[in-house]
Amino acid sequence: MSKTFGSGDLAVQALKPCSFSVQQGELAALLGPSGSGKSTLLLAISLILEPTTGRIVVGGQEVYNNGWTGVDDRAFRRRNIGFIFQQHNLIPFLTAIENVALVMQLNGISRREATRRAKDLLGYLEIAHRAGSLPANLSGGEQQRVAIGRALANEPPLILADEPTAALDTERGVKVMALLGKIARERRSAVITVTHDHRMIEGFDTVYHLDDGRLARMAQTALS
Amino acid sequence: MDLALKDIRRHLGKFIATIVGVAMLLAIVLVMNGIYQGNIADGVWLINNTATDLWVVERGRGGPFNESSRMPLDSYKSVAATPGVAKASPLVIYGAQRDIGGKSQQFTVIGYDVFGGLGGPGGLVRGRAIEAPHYELVADRKLGLALGDKVPFGTHDYSVVGITQGAVDSGGSPLIYLSLPDAQEVQFQQDNRALVAARAASLKRLERAGYSQEQASRLLPLLSSTGDTVNAVLVKLAPGADGAQVAQHIGDWLYFNVYTTDEERSLMLEGKLSRMSAVLGLFRVLLILVSIVIIALIIYVLTIEKIKSIATLKLIGASNWVIVRLIMEQSMALTLASFAVAYGLRELIAPGFPRTLAFLAQETAVTFAVMLVGGVVASLMAIWHALRTPPQLALGG
Repeated sequence: MSKTFGSGDLAVQALKPCSFSVQQGELAALLGPSGSGKSTLLLAISLILEPTTGRIVVGGQEVYNNGWTGVDDRAFRRRNIGFIFQQHNLIPFLTAIENVALVMQLNGISRREATRRAKDLLGYLEIAHRAGSLPANLSGGEQQRVAIGRALANEPPLILADEPTAALDTERGVKVMALLGKIARERRSAVITVTHDHRMIEGFDTVYHLDDGRLARMAQTALS
Repeated sequence: MDLALKDIRRHLGKFIATIVGVAMLLAIVLVMNGIYQGNIADGVWLINNTATDLWVVERGRGGPFNESSRMPLDSYKSVAATPGVAKASPLVIYGAQRDIGGKSQQFTVIGYDVFGGLGGPGGLVRGRAIEAPHYELVADRKLGLALGDKVPFGTHDYSVVGITQGAVDSGGSPLIYLSLPDAQEVQFQQDNRALVAARAASLKRLERAGYSQEQASRLLPLLSSTGDTVNAVLVKLAPGADGAQVAQHIGDWLYFNVYTTDEERSLMLEGKLSRMSAVLGLFRVLLILVSIVIIALIIYVLTIEKIKSIATLKLIGASNWVIVRLIMEQSMALTLASFAVAYGLRELIAPGFPRTLAFLAQETAVTFAVMLVGGVVASLMAIWHALRTPPQLALGG
């Protein structure tokens, strides 16, 4: 796919024609400096920006086909994509467990069931003891774990992590990346992590590099 | 999950402060509703509580409430002789301010024929009506008098024989009922020295005009102004009489203006009370608009503060309805809570309010409905902003 903004003399090709795929259980990194097109690629995969050419297939379903509407975008994201943000972006007026349960309730799961599953998830992430805390009372690492729990809540086939370690120190950042790897293996989700920190990509199965809108594959580890 | 309530919990101080502020504005609106209806109730109290079918006043006047009216005392006899009239009674009505109960108070005097005439005290709650030709009075409870109290008017003391409740003139001032002659005497009573000076001046004028001292002294009583005028004549129709015909006859033959009780009421509402109604109406509208604007601004600020959360919600798949509901519920919560507190404030203020307050459930309901719609409108700006927020705002640092 490719993405061009504007038209005619003012056209800017933010993403040159490229192809890549990430399998279930694969942990992929997307590296690149600022302005390289990482955000554009992320927005396209997130179904926020429609690519100018090409197609996107998530979980076997092609998106942006005929009849696709704005409403479908959100419903598709809700069911198929989990997001982990650089600044965690937890809803500040919801507790940790409520933040995780929210995405399930948005998907039509009952409050009771959503709360039960959220509790299990927080336990899996070793943060169940902080379930009733508001984000303001959690450390950066704890908030990121809750954010990961929210991303996993609807068991999406694809998880997008946008600079998940940017707001953490090195030790915590390494732990979060290790956790992402564990999630990819155990939960069989495809995990795409956008990062600019080369130190954090050890153990990743695939690494892509974006430079001036051009995507190149850098390394691959055989899936176990 | 009720996101609105959870967010309110986080901004409780801001919400409570806004509720208090808006509630005070709305309380003023609700009290103004009461003032407006109270004014109407006061304005028509005397009209409604004077048991009469027709009001006869000076020709060409809109009296006796909206405009002054003076008629000769004996005009009631001519009116009484009109076909279809069962009873006609003279009425005196004027405003006064005197020391009563140790403080200067404003009131209105009603002078009426105490021996079976029309226009006697309505709303009597204690004591009796006036039964003697002189020196008895009936006063409204607002004046703070008790049965048996003595009230000095001029050179005489008047005994309080009856107490009314709610007897007020169109301006809300309490009423004092006197016999007709007493009312005229109190109205035209002059200080003795002023009387002597006026008499001496009149004698001098007559002497300068060429009359002798003896002639001037004999002429003087004929020139002195008398209190033999009244402000209106009240008419009770005979059974089966046509009020319109009787009124026509009185107007044509006796050259007076005649109004039915309904016409007097209309004169009051469209005349004296209309401007106050317009002013109160304008203020109420302004206050409601200000309240809605305040709510709109607060909701907008609260929405802007959580715009990144809204972007996050959109990104993780929340529908527009979830976001609209979040904002609108907060606006409704503010509106409803403010109205509830305002209602409570109104109930606290009402008993001690210096003017008559009359509340109509329908009017309160309309005010509530307007605020409810206003609360929805108040949230529109914030909703518009939230819906325009791109989900990608949640990405990045």
